[in-house]
Parts: sequence; structure tokens; C-alpha cells
Amino acid sequence: MLCKPIFSVDIHPDGTKFATGGQGEDSGKVMIWNMAPVLREEDEKNENIPKMLCQMDNHLACVNCVRWSNNGLYLASGGDDKLVMVWRRAAFIGPSTVFGSSSKLANVEQWRCVTILRNHTGDVMDVAWSPHDVWLASCSVDNTIVIWNARKFPEMVTTLRGHTGLVKGLTWDPVGKYIASQADDHSLKVWRTVDWQMEANITKPFSECGGTTHVLRLSWSPDGQYLVSAHAMNNSGPTAQIVERDGWKTNMDFVGHRKAVTVVKFNPKIFKKKQKNGSSPKPSCPYCCCAVGSKDRSLSVWLTSLKRPLVVIHDLFDKSIMDISWTLTGLGMLVCSMDGTVAYLDFSLDELGDPLNEEEKNSIHQNIYGKSLAITSTEAQLSTTIIENPEVLKYQQERQNSAQANSGPGGAAPESSAPKLNSVMNGESLEDIRKNLLKKQVETRTADGRRRITPLCIAQLDTGDFSPALFNSVPILPSGSSMSSQLTPQLSSDSSPGQASSMGLKPTHDPMLTSPPPNNTAKPLEDNNDGVKSSLLLTSASKIEPMKALDSRFTERSKATPGVTAAISSTAGLTPLDRPKDGVTAQKEAKTKEETSSDSEDKMAAINKNLTFGKRKPELLLDGGEVVEKRKKGRPRKDKMAASMAQPFTQPSKVVAPPAPVAVLKLPTPSTQKAFSLQVSMEPSVFLEVENEVSMVAGSKLSQLRCSRDGRDWNTLLPSSVVVAAGSSDILAVACEDRMLSVFSSCGRRLLPAIQLGTPASALHCSAHYVMVLTAGATLSVWDVQKQKALVKNESLLTILSGADTTVSQSLLTQQGVPVIGLSNGKSYCFSSSLETWTLIADKSDSLVQCADFRSCLPSHDTPASSGPLAVMQGRNLNNIKCNKETQEYRYWLLIYARFLVNEGSEYRLRELCKELLGPVHKSAATSWEPTTLGLRKRELLREVLPVIGENLRFQRLFTEYQDQLELLRNK
Amino acid sequence: MAKVQVLNVAVLDNPSPFGNPFQFEITFECMEDLPEDLEWKIIYVGSAESEEYDQVLDSVLVGPVPAGRHMFVFQADAPNTGLIPESDAVGVTVVLITCTYRGQEFIRIGYYVNNEYTDPELRENPPLKPDYSQLQRNILASNPRVTRFHINWEGLADKMEDSENVDPSPNISGMFPPSCIPGKMPHLGVMPDNSMDCISTSAM
Repeated sequence: MLCKPIFSVDIHPDGTKFATGGQGEDSGKVMIWNMAPVLREEDEKNENIPKMLCQMDNHLACVNCVRWSNNGLYLASGGDDKLVMVWRRAAFIGPSTVFGSSSKLANVEQWRCVTILRNHTGDVMDVAWSPHDVWLASCSVDNTIVIWNARKFPEMVTTLRGHTGLVKGLTWDPVGKYIASQADDHSLKVWRTVDWQMEANITKPFSECGGTTHVLRLSWSPDGQYLVSAHAMNNSGPTAQIVERDGWKTNMDFVGHRKAVTVVKFNPKIFKKKQKNGSSPKPSCPYCCCAVGSKDRSLSVWLTSLKRPLVVIHDLFDKSIMDISWTLTGLGMLVCSMDGTVAYLDFSLDELGDPLNEEEKNSIHQNIYGKSLAITSTEAQLSTTIIENPEVLKYQQERQNSAQANSGPGGAAPESSAPKLNSVMNGESLEDIRKNLLKKQVETRTADGRRRITPLCIAQLDTGDFSPALFNSVPILPSGSSMSSQLTPQLSSDSSPGQASSMGLKPTHDPMLTSPPPNNTAKPLEDNNDGVKSSLLLTSASKIEPMKALDSRFTERSKATPGVTAAISSTAGLTPLDRPKDGVTAQKEAKTKEETSSDSEDKMAAINKNLTFGKRKPELLLDGGEVVEKRKKGRPRKDKMAASMAQPFTQPSKVVAPPAPVAVLKLPTPSTQKAFSLQVSMEPSVFLEVENEVSMVAGSKLSQLRCSRDGRDWNTLLPSSVVVAAGSSDILAVACEDRMLSVFSSCGRRLLPAIQLGTPASALHCSAHYVMVLTAGATLSVWDVQKQKALVKNESLLTILSGADTTVSQSLLTQQGVPVIGLSNGKSYCFSSSLETWTLIADKSDSLVQCADFRSCLPSHDTPASSGPLAVMQGRNLNNIKCNKETQEYRYWLLIYARFLVNEGSEYRLRELCKELLGPVHKSAATSWEPTTLGLRKRELLREVLPVIGENLRFQRLFTEYQDQLELLRNK
Repeated sequence: MAKVQVLNVAVLDNPSPFGNPFQFEITFECMEDLPEDLEWKIIYVGSAESEEYDQVLDSVLVGPVPAGRHMFVFQADAPNTGLIPESDAVGVTVVLITCTYRGQEFIRIGYYVNNEYTDPELRENPPLKPDYSQLQRNILASNPRVTRFHINWEGLADKMEDSENVDPSPNISGMFPPSCIPGKMPHLGVMPDNSMDCISTSAM
């Protein structure tokens, strides 16, 4: 078989196109195809309807997986070149002609790579978008799974380590709570998304498995109840193992394939039995539908309501099935194979049943999980809802705008703000520029006398009018990505070869898809012009022989470059020069050349693989993560050494402090810098500059502290190097290496006598007129400088530092002088001076927090910039905030809470919130309603909450109701 | 993947007298800011028989190259006629445009060139010693032949990353084909997994 394998297929969520990934000519290949010609014969025959929309050969090696994001805006591809690429469609500029090739080969759609995700050290085998496109997961033969922040590529969220073999498949729980992976290490692992730790490790059904499949694409059922693995074994027969969500039980499997199962794919729809006319409408249990593809070249489709498969199609392909994709309607399916073909199957409602609509599906989820990520905002239905209130319309539009601005990757990319093409060109047309380019371009000479040209930038990236259509890069559509089409399974025998080729998806037969077919005698008309020229060229017939020699010159890399083996020239598309006589032979020659070199390449690759395996082994024994762990631990130890300074080998420049009392130093201390500066306050603007060891007086080094407040400076000298400094608009504090803490007013007056700390300072904070010190000995002190009083006195953190590994990840001081400590275990505490105890304010691992998905409601762009100190902690409960006396915090979290309720669709709770904020419209003595909370007027708060409510059309009535009442009250 | 993609090459001043400079207007796109310059070369193949008649007409550095789409005209003097074998002066030969990054060639664009007398008299009875002043150069601009090579774009950073993953045992260094180490170039592009790659296309 000439065809290059197709490893992956995925149908776009809108069903109009699909992507394939696989091996191209010496590169990986991603192609986007039009769905219509696959679905309808008349579209297939219509030459005006393009079949191929875009091809991208940017992957350097075979593409193992292509996946559309759920919103359909992005395509992710992962390949043997260790990369994950994320593609986005560039603004439509019409089919672009590729330079030097016939216009028919142009990419109809322009997809360009917006992000390259580099982290894997081995082939990327599978990629998967999480529900709602929050994350993108990729797995690799480097035994890891990487979770990428899909809202902020190329940011990595985490790496999941634990597999000891090549990870070959990934699937997200539709509820968003888990991700499951299957690997060659005879295991299927389920990971929690809340803390990215392993939830379950299922090994038993895989103990007999050999690593014989290229991929292990497992799948999670749309109701979230079942996870079905690829290749598993039961009584030495290949199966697809069913894993129940409840307890991860493995009692059932799909049996019958003769060879290993490579791919399992659940239909996205949940079905219920079709009600036959006349029969009594008795309620039947909803069921799921699952397709299983195997190395035995056959495909089986199962309904969870049936004990036997719905249909089995044998010998669908010549080689192993590699991937399956269902249409979103649940009635169509594309299957791709190693043999380089893709088959389309469609089903009728009679066969599968009635698909539940989104509302019904949501209610199933609601019943099982309460609220889950899988619950889709039923915008499809809501889009038909009439907007009754102009205000609501406004908020809807705002929401859409911001959604567009923030949606997914690239949205946040800096290039997105790049100026448009014409602004770059200063109004000059490209033609004008080209006319004068030679004169205008800047040419200089380098130091060694070489010419250096500064190229003229004619467009910045992502101006939208870019085309990935590469110079001459639509090469021969060789065997690589051909497709045959087989219609419904029942009709599969009908799919005569004639039909398949008339589909035009078999390149060797179709001029639409192939670039000049080698055996094509009819030359395209466009070539006529060249024909004239080439006949000119051919005037001296004797030159034909040397032409062959010349041909090789096109492809041989210059000698100067080391490490280059022969480059392969493409064989099809012979030039007019060598076609007449030597065409055929040249072609043959080249072909054999190609084969041999690709052979050697294979060998090379094999060797590489062996090498990488060899490399991996020791790591495997060491268990990778441990090494990193050690490094991390190494750091504090160093600090400890530096801090105690008893060792003779500490840096000689350091001032020897009075020997520190022997204390267990729990917290790391910052290392001393030569100089640093920081802005401690914006309004008024106060800058602090520290320069250590500026001068030497009587053998001791002095450090200088300089402060500039609204342009006025003062400075002072300190006898020891400053380690940490902090300040607020009122006060400044510095802690030195000699464990002295000095506090100054912002004008440079010493406010407190120098305070001797027990252990070196680990963190120092100032806020208003409060100073907080966290010492390396894990004690906390807070002073009120104004009242010259200690609020917290050497309070030990040991009570909250439970467990050996817990460390302080964050600390801060509120404007009210309340110290807040965030720990690495996700808990946050504040020390209440009135209760004289630590109070828990947030706990990441709290089961309540785990269940609550309010985190998804956090406006992503707000979180990092949020001014509220608690925003960086995991606040949980409004009451906590109240007890922290933080008015801004309260407001912030109230809005988050409202957004959460809006997203959740909980009208009942929203109404209660609004009611509480609005209070009684008519004054009555009986109410105990307080018009303010924490000094904030509740009705003002309601005014802020309402726009949030207005964003969800579902609540437009509620919005109107409260909007009107607020208006009413204002007019009173 | 390649950080630089050549989008178009326009052959300017074509056809032209043999002695005119070559002019190519090159449009390329760059994925990320390049810390180093690109080096472009025009190579004139004097004779199909042997590479020894190849002439590098000129080489230029192009930079700085920020991410985006860029354009420049590469002009180079006509070949030195003294270096062309007389028998190969008239007829078909090849001109190559190559681009290298960090000393590694990643694209090679080739054109057929036809050198001919415009005068029918001379065409019929070409002089034994070629009269270059009468020769016209015609570049078959419509038929570029593009070959791409996979190179290491990252340079040192990548190499370090790779070496971190390499077991420190000495025999690993034997991984590098020994033939690759000599030469003036750092052996950056020779990690075995990317030592060879090319896409070559031709179109008509």
C-alpha cells in the first residue's frame, strides 16, 4: 500500500469539516477536509466544492493526534517531533494561491499555528481538550502527561508523573473532575483535576497486555459513569475494559475483537429508546453508544443497553484502525486507519435511538452529580430567547465581547494587539513598497565587511491576513492523506472502488487533490505560458542529460553544513525539462532513492528510539520526581547554613552577627542581595532603595537605605546588610542580617527602637501603620506602630504547620493589621488577635471547595491583578470575609458568589441574595434588615450585582424585577 | 518546526542581459524573533558536470528578524564569466538561493536558467568563444524547486536541554556520527533525531 498512515481523525464540533493527522512526505501532516463531500454525493461531484480545506506540514515528524477544541476555534495536534501545536483559523482572505503551484492546490482556509507547546521529551501520542477548553492535556512516550493552561498558552499547569511506560491515550471526564490515561506500563490511571493527584491506578485488566499498539485511545462515556479502556486482556483475549466511576470497578468488558483494541470512542450523545408508533410510551433507561476499533481492522459499535454489539464491520480497512470521531449529532462517524484511508459511517435514529437533547442530558448530569462542568450552558436554546430588557441586551453584548477577547489561547497572546497590516505599511500599498524596496531597504556592513540587509517588515504576526500557505509548500499529495469513503455500514459492500475514486479523496485519481500527477498527460492550462518558455529551454536537446545532474543540485544541501545526509527530492511533478524523455526513468530513480533513504531514516529512528529507551531506564528507577524533590529541599538547607553563619566557609563579606540562638529554622530566609529597590506605595509614591556594603567604617560595612517619597529623598545608614525591606504609605521597615528590625516613618524618623529578632526574618510586611514579621524560626509578630503596641507576639506557626512538608507559601498583612498566612497545603490562616488564636479562612482541600466549581467563575484576567489580598488565598465563605473586616474583599467575593450563582443557574439562591441586598422596599419597624454591611450600602452592592445577573438571559426577569425596584427606591 | 517560512520569491529584472545583476525579492515569515541573522546566498551553477564551477555570487546577512512577515531584495552581481567552462556558457543551468541559520541550511530554492543568444544569427551559429555581451539570461521563474531541511533552530539552549536528558556515560557521545564533528560549525544540528529532514516540492 502506498498510502501513508493516518493516525488521527477528528470532526469539527460544527460538523462542517474534519481534521486528519498522520505521516506526510518527510514531515508530519495535518489536513483539514470539507465534510460536505463526504456526506453528500452531489457535493462530492460538484467541482466547485473544495474537498481539502487546508494542509499544514509544520510538524517535523508524524502527527499522532489532532483534536478540535470544544468551541471549535482551535485545533491541537501532537506528533513525533515532541511538539503540540495549536492552530487557529486566520481571518478569511479567500483561497490563496501558493507561489509556483497551480491555484487549485491552494488552501481554501488559512489555519496558522498560534502556539507551539514544548515540554515533552518524546513523541506526543494523544492530546485532549478538557470540558469547556480550560485545559489541554498531552501525553507522550516520555511517560508523562502535561496539562496546559488553554486560556493562557503556553503556560503549563502541571505534569502528571506516575506512568512507567509510554502514555498512549487520554480522556477527560465529561464532568471535569478527572482525566484518565492509559499507558504501556499495563495501567490505566485516573487523575483528579482538583489537585492533579492520582485517584486510581487500574492494573489488573492490563497485566497480560504487551505494548503492541501504537495508540491506546480510551474514552469516557458522556454521562460520566463509565470509562472504557483501549487494549485490555481477559482470559488472554483482547477486550476493551469497562471501568465504573463508582469505585473504579472493572467487572465488565467489550469482548470479541481478535486483536488489541486501539481506540474506543463514546458517542457524545446519550440515547433513549425510540418510541414506536402505537407502542405504549413506557419510560426506558437512557443509554450510551460506544465505538471500538481494533488492530484486527474491524470496528464494533455497542449500545450500553444491549449485551451484544449493535454492529460489527470486519475488514473495514487493510490495516489497524487508529482513531474514531463521532459527529456532534451522534449519527455519523469517521474512522481512520494505518492504511491511509478514512471511512465514514452513518446511523439512523432507528438504529441508535433518540438522542437526548442538551437539556435532558444536563438533567441527567444534575441528577447524578448535582452541578457539574459537563452541564453546558444551553445557549443554543437561549439564543432564541427574546431579550426583553434593553439593559440585559447590553450586558449580553458585553459578555460576548469579553468572551471573544478572552476566549482561549491566542486571545491573550500579545500579537493579538498587533497593528493591522495597513498601519505597518503607513498607507502605502504593497505594490508601492515593492517598487522601491531595493532602494529603500537598509543595507549596512558588518564589522567583518559583510553585507547586512534589514528586511522590511510588511506584517506582524496575527494580523489575520496571514496565510500559512507556504511558498510552494503544497507538495504532491502523495499517498499520504488519501481517503476512501465508505458509506453506511450496511452499504459498505456498495462502496465500489469507482465510487471511492469519484469521491476525489484518492489523490492518485484526482487532479483536484494531487499536485501534478506524474502520469497525467493532460497539462493544466496555466502551464501553457511556461510551456513556451520550456520549449525555449529545450532548444538544445543535448542539454537534457546534464539536466538530471542539475536536478540533484536543487536538493543537495550545501557542503558547508555538517551532519547532513542526503535530502530527498520529490519525484512527482517533474519539470517540463526532463519530462519528455527521462521523465519515467528519472521518476523511478528518484523513487528508489527515496525508498532507500527513508529506509535508512527508519533505521535511524529505530536507533533513536532505542537510545531514548535506554536513557529513560535509569530515570525510571530513580522515579524522576524524586530528583526534583531533592533539589528543592537543597535550597532551604543552604539558607539555613548562611543564616547560622557558624561555618567558616560562609561568604567572607558577610558581617558576623551575634551567634544565633540554636533554633530549628523552619522557614527559608531570603538571600542577601547587593542592592535592590522596591516601590512600597503608589499613592503617595514611595520608593525604597537598598544598597548593601556601600562603605567601610572601622572594619564594619555599612549599608545604605534610601527612600524617595513624592520626589523627596532621605537616606540612612545601617550597620548590617539589609535582607528584607517593606513599607506602606506610612511606614518603612527593614530587617538586617544581624536580625535587627528597624522601623521608620516615611520621612525617615525612627518610629520604634531597633527590635532584636530571635531568628532571621523570613518575610516582612507593612500595611498602614502595622508591621508584620515572619521569622525563620516560624514565629509571627505584628506591631501597631502608631500605638507602639504588639498585636501578635512571637506567635508560633507550629500549630498550623502540621506535617513536615508544609511550608508557608504566602504571607500578608491586611490594612487592619490582620496577618494572613497561606500554606503550601492549600490552607490559609489568619491570626485573630481578639480570639488570640489561628483561624482557618480557606482550605483548598476542603471537600466543600473541591465540589464547588466557583473557581471557574473567577474572571481569569482579574485574579492575578486583584487588589484584594484574599483574592490570592482561597477564600471560601463570605462570613470569613466579614470577620476579616475587609470591605473590598467582601465586595469582591460577593460578586464572585453572584457570578457563580449566575453560572450555576440557581435562580432560587440568586433571588435570596438580591432580596437580602435590596431589603424591604417599604419601611417597616418589624424588619431587622441592616441597610449596610461592613460599611457598604447593600443596595449599592445590588447595583453591582445586577449586571452580572444580566449576563445570563435565563435571569432576565429577575434582573428586570430588581432593576425596577432599585429605580423605585432611588426615586423615593 | 521551521521558524522561518519562505512565502514567495519574485524574480526581478527577468529576462535580462547576462551581465545584469540577479535580483530576487524574497518574502518570508518568521514565527518568533530570531536572535541571530539569517544568511542568504545566491549560488550560480557554472556547469552541471561539477560543483567546482559553482560560484557564490553573494551572501548577505539579513537581520534583525522579529516575528512577522518580511521582505527584502537580494541583489547579486552576475557570475564571473572567467569561471564558467566555455562549453557550458550557453544553455540551461541552475541558480540557487539558500538560506542558513546558525550555519545550518534550512531552505534551498532552485531555478532553471537558460542562457541564450537573442540574435537568431548567433543562435544558429554560436561563436566558439561565448560572447557574453550578447547572451540573454532567462530564469524560469514560474518553476521554483524548493527543498527544506530540518535544522536545529534553538541552538545552544536546545543542546543543553538535550544533554541534560542524556545519560552522562561517555559512550553516549558516540551517538554523534563522527563525521559530523569536524568542520567549523558547532555540531548543533546533528542530534540524530533531527539530522535529516527535508520536504521537497516542485510545482508546475
